[in-house]
Amino acid sequence: MADFTNDEAAVAAALDVPVQRGEPILQVRNLQKHFPLTQGILFKKQVGAVKAVDGVSFDLYQGETLGIVGESGCGKSTVAKLLMNLERATAGEVFYKGQDITKLSGRALKAVRRNIQMVFQDPYTSLNPRMTVGDIIGETFDIHPEVAPKGDRRRKVQELLDVVGLNPEYINRYPHQFSGGQRQRIGIARGLALNPEIIICDEPVSALDVSVQAQVINLMEKLQDEFNLSYIFIAHDLSIVRHISDRVGVMYLGKLAEIGTDSEIYDHPTHPYTQALLSAVPVPDPQARANRDRIILTGDVPSPANPPSGCRFRTRCWKAQEKCSTEQPVLAIPERFRGLDTLAAHESACHFAEERDVVHSG
Amino acid sequence: MLLEVRDLHVEFHTREGVAKAVNGVNYSVDAGETLAVLGESGSGKSVTAQAVMGILDMPPGRIPKGEILFQGQDLLTLKEEERRKVRGAKMAMIFQDALSSLNPVLSVGEQLGEMFIVHKGMSKKDARAQAVELMDRVRIPAAKERVGQYPHQFSGGMRQRIMIAMALALEPELIIADEPTTALDVTVQAQVMDLLAELQREYNMGLILITHDLGVVADVADKIAVMYAGRIVEQSPVHEIYKAPAHPYTRGLLDSIPRLDQKGQELYAIKGLPPNLLAIPPGCAFNPRCPMAQDVCRTDVPPLYPVTESPVPRTSACHFWKECLHG
Repeated sequence: MADFTNDEAAVAAALDVPVQRGEPILQVRNLQKHFPLTQGILFKKQVGAVKAVDGVSFDLYQGETLGIVGESGCGKSTVAKLLMNLERATAGEVFYKGQDITKLSGRALKAVRRNIQMVFQDPYTSLNPRMTVGDIIGETFDIHPEVAPKGDRRRKVQELLDVVGLNPEYINRYPHQFSGGQRQRIGIARGLALNPEIIICDEPVSALDVSVQAQVINLMEKLQDEFNLSYIFIAHDLSIVRHISDRVGVMYLGKLAEIGTDSEIYDHPTHPYTQALLSAVPVPDPQARANRDRIILTGDVPSPANPPSGCRFRTRCWKAQEKCSTEQPVLAIPERFRGLDTLAAHESACHFAEERDVVHSG
Repeated sequence: MLLEVRDLHVEFHTREGVAKAVNGVNYSVDAGETLAVLGESGSGKSVTAQAVMGILDMPPGRIPKGEILFQGQDLLTLKEEERRKVRGAKMAMIFQDALSSLNPVLSVGEQLGEMFIVHKGMSKKDARAQAVELMDRVRIPAAKERVGQYPHQFSGGMRQRIMIAMALALEPELIIADEPTTALDVTVQAQVMDLLAELQREYNMGLILITHDLGVVADVADKIAVMYAGRIVEQSPVHEIYKAPAHPYTRGLLDSIPRLDQKGQELYAIKGLPPNLLAIPPGCAFNPRCPMAQDVCRTDVPPLYPVTESPVPRTSACHFWKECLHG
């Protein structure tokens, strides 16, 4: 693999440069991940591919939270794994401070991963039940000893527990001695241990009870300010994503359907899928029951192994026309809104993009 | 009244002690009415439903006290054999996880048809025809072709429809749905909830909807019972409770969910954790987490105070319900 730029010194030098607030810290370009489908036992023959992520591009700016929403199977978790290089991308680039991390390996990759950390969905299975909290968080320092010298680790772990609102005396306890919300705090402490710049959160609160969810969300917002973190926040709960995100991307079948600021997406959606998704969210207000514009989609999400031609949403879309089956819409500001001073003028991958308010009852 | 639960208590004997899961629950459902039971994990909402259905594991479970009146008859005094005739034919349950509630090695047609063979003594052929009709009724496309397929060949939303079909098979008068849409995606969730509401109207069934989602409740329920540590802390018609909650726990829950239609400030978070059922705090179980708690809350268990009597009664188990309602 000669073409991998693994010149350690060059990577290290590049990573030391701080990124200013408002500058892109992560640039994703045409990212793709295809999982091969094989047939046969001894002589495996590739018969197709599940296109889990099929050409996703976006920027993450320093200090912001980018929310990614979508239904199960849309590829949002695969995107998270690709950004960490836990899965090798089939094609496309992920630039972190100018370094394409999809091409890195070995020590250069390890150096990058120190700065990009992850918080997982399930606090019950993502913590080793046989390790104490101190060992779980402290293990990160075994891999990156430069962050905390050996004698200092215990103090450092206790400091982290304190930061996430857990009693530092709990350092010798095991995961089963904590509640779900507390376990998620341990997961967050582990994510923070190496002073990363970016944290990728994959459904961090969806396993938690409502009253505990708010505690964890507030903690994450506080930590973002305190440590100047950038978040990629992946979730299926649209209300929570709106609350925490500065910008939101909506995914459908491995592609971004629409991306924009929280107000652009929630108050001025132009892609039919976004509109259907938002209108389906039950709102905790019985008054809205009769007055809201509800779009009930028919059918299920098609298989990513055999996505529809043209626009992927066309099989469930009420606006679909001939053009939608032949021509793939690109993610760009729709022509009719271009240059206009309206919040509808944001990137949307639909031939017939049109504003429709579905979250406010009229 | 179709179903009336009176002063129901359920406890579980465990190695660590007695876990008091349900501590004096009262609720009722009429034909055609939807009661939402809202609560977090461990609040006792599912255990109450299991006691009503008679599918509680006993032991370790035990019902030391209470009555479950179904059409005037106390189910707790019935023999298991008689109980079995009620279950399925008169009341049915829909579970959260359709994939693990269906038998993976039997086709959906066999599973649906089994109801008719066991309860109505139909032949296999007639039962299959009934299964197809049921699948049609819950709008599964190409029912005739799909009746021989196995659960894994259906999507999540379609599997939940099969669960609904199974519950409807014998045209019960009461349906208990325990988190029926929690495992589904939002667009599919909307389809399934719509179907359930429509079928309820068509058959004029009573529906008990168990959920933790305040949005789903607002969408479909007529009245709501909020549970905390095995008790109903507030019971109310659905419109009133969202406008002005009369219990600090309900208020906390409503304030802690972010909104879809506007970007809010910092979320309100209820401090602390739900109580351990082996050691429920004395007085009001919510007192260690309550911003309004006073000395009396730590010693006296609050009774259910009537908030409004008519047209629909509304109750709150808070010593300071007036302050909560108006502030």
